[in-house]
Amino acid sequence: MEPILLIIVVCVVLGGVLASLGVHLLPVGGAPAAMGTATGVATGTVMLMLGAAMCGLFTASSVAAFSDNILLVSLSGAIGAWLMMGVTMLVANVVYVFGAGVVPVAGRVEVDPITRQLQTPYKTPQCDGHGVPNVCYISGMAGALLGGFGGAFMYFALLNYAHFEATAAGVIAMGIFVANAIIAAYNIGGTIEGFHDPKFKRLPKALITCFVISLFCGVFVVMAATLGGLI
Amino acid sequence: MPIEIATLFAWMLLIVFLALIACMFEDLESDTGSQSNPNSQVQLAAQVGQINRFFNKAISGEAPAYAMYCTIAGVIAFVLLSKGAHPLLALPIGAVAGEVVHVIFSVTAHLGRTSAMKRFEQPIYLDVLYGHLIPIATHGFMAVLCIICIAYIQSNIGTLSGNPGLDHPFALPMLAFIWGITVGAIGSSTGDIHYGTEREFQDRPFGEGKRVVYHGKITRYADCGIRTQKDIVSFCAKYGGPCTGMTFGMIILFENWRTLVGMKVSGYLPELQATAGDMTAIIGIVVGLVIGIVLIAGNVVIVNWARKRYGPFVGE
Repeated sequence: MEPILLIIVVCVVLGGVLASLGVHLLPVGGAPAAMGTATGVATGTVMLMLGAAMCGLFTASSVAAFSDNILLVSLSGAIGAWLMMGVTMLVANVVYVFGAGVVPVAGRVEVDPITRQLQTPYKTPQCDGHGVPNVCYISGMAGALLGGFGGAFMYFALLNYAHFEATAAGVIAMGIFVANAIIAAYNIGGTIEGFHDPKFKRLPKALITCFVISLFCGVFVVMAATLGGLI
Repeated sequence: MPIEIATLFAWMLLIVFLALIACMFEDLESDTGSQSNPNSQVQLAAQVGQINRFFNKAISGEAPAYAMYCTIAGVIAFVLLSKGAHPLLALPIGAVAGEVVHVIFSVTAHLGRTSAMKRFEQPIYLDVLYGHLIPIATHGFMAVLCIICIAYIQSNIGTLSGNPGLDHPFALPMLAFIWGITVGAIGSSTGDIHYGTEREFQDRPFGEGKRVVYHGKITRYADCGIRTQKDIVSFCAKYGGPCTGMTFGMIILFENWRTLVGMKVSGYLPELQATAGDMTAIIGIVVGLVIGIVLIAGNVVIVNWARKRYGPFVGE
C-alpha cells in the first residue's frame, strides 16, 4: 500500500475525531434555549457545528487555492469557524440581554469555572440557565476551532492527496463531518453546555465511535482515489 | 492580468451588504412561517389545549431547509448561466425555483403537522394557510436571492476584478449550499431568541427566561386580535431580524476581509504571486485570531454589564 493512501486515511480519521470533540465543546441549548429555558445557543447541535464548519471550509478552500501547507489551510479553516461561532454567540447574548432582558448564566454549575462568578442568583427559577455565559462562550470558541480544523484538514487531504476536484472534495469532507457530528449529537442527547457540563464525561464513547466511522469513510475515500478519483 | 484591488474590495463590501439583507430576511421568514426551535411551542400549544391560529411550518431545522432552497436556486442559476443566460435573468429565476419548492414544503408541513393535532381539536384554518404563503415566499425569495448573488460574486470575484485566477474554487451551487447552511444556523441561533423568548410569550414578564410551566401557553390574543404570524414578524423585524442580519454580515466581513488583507499585505495581489501564498494565509490567521480575542472580550463586557445592571433575580 502506498504511504499516501495511509496518510489519507489518517487525515480523514483525525478530521472526524476532531469534529466529534468540537461538537462536545459547543454550548448547545436546543429548543429550550430559544425560550430562555436553558443555557446555550438556541439551535441544534449539528446545525451549529455545520454552520461553523462550513464557514471554516469556505475559508480553507480559498486558502488552499494559493497555499500548499496543510497546517496553514487547516488553521485558516479553524479560524473561520472560530469567528463564525464568536460573532453568533456574541449577538445571541446581545439579543438575550437587550431583547429578552435576561442575564447569561449557566444552569449546570453554581460558579462559572473560568471567571468564578456566581450563576444561581441570576438565574430565573424553574429554568436551566439562559444565554451564553463566559465559560460556554470560551468552550464554544474552542469547539469551533477544533471542528473547523478537522473539517479543513479532511478537505486538504481529499483535495491534494486523493486528488478530488475542489467542489467534490468539499462535499465529501462535509459529508464525513456531518456523520461524525451527528454521532456526537446523539451521544450528548441533543444539548450540552460545554466542557463543564457533566455530559462532557461521555466524550470517550463518541470518540471511539467516530474513529470507527471515520476509518470506514477513509477506506472508501482511498478506494475512490485508487479507482481514478472523483471528477 | 493584475487584479483591480479597489474593485475587489468593492465586490467584497457588496457581498457583506447582501449577507446582511439575506440573514435578516431569513430570520423574518422563519418567524413568518414559524420554523425551527420556537415552533416547538406552537406544536405544544394545541396539545395543552391552546387552540391557535399560528402557521406551523417547521419543515426541518432552518439550516438544512435553507441549504435546500439555496442549493436548488444555485443549481438552476448555474445551469442557466452555463447556457449563456445573463446573471440578471439566471439568478432571480433560480431564486423563484427555490421558492416554489419552499412553498410546497410549507403547505405540506403546515397541513401535515396541524392535521396531526386533530385529536386535540386544533383546526386547520384555511385563511391562515393561504394568507401566510405569500409572506413566506417573498421573505424567502429575498434571502435566497441574496445568497445566490453572494455565491455568484464569490465564484466569479476574480473574473469581475480582472483575473479569473482569484475565483473561488467551489462551484456556485456549493457556495450557495454553504451559505444556506450558515444563514440557517445563524438565524436559528440569534433571531429565534427574539421570537421564542419575547414575542411568543409576550404576556409573560420581560426580564426572565420562560419557565417550563409556561411552555405551550403562547400568547394568542393580543393587540391585533387573535394573533397570527403576521403579527409576529412585524415585531421581530424591529430587533431580532436586523440583529441576525448584522451577525451574518459581520461574519462575511471578517472572513473575506482578513483573506483580502492578507493577500494585499503579503504581496499576493495584484499579480497573484504564488510565492506569497503562505504569508497570505499566516496574516489571515493572525488577523482572525485578534478579532476572535476581541469578541471574547466583548462577551465578557456584555455579561458583566448585564450582571451589574440587572442584578440577581428578584421574585419567585
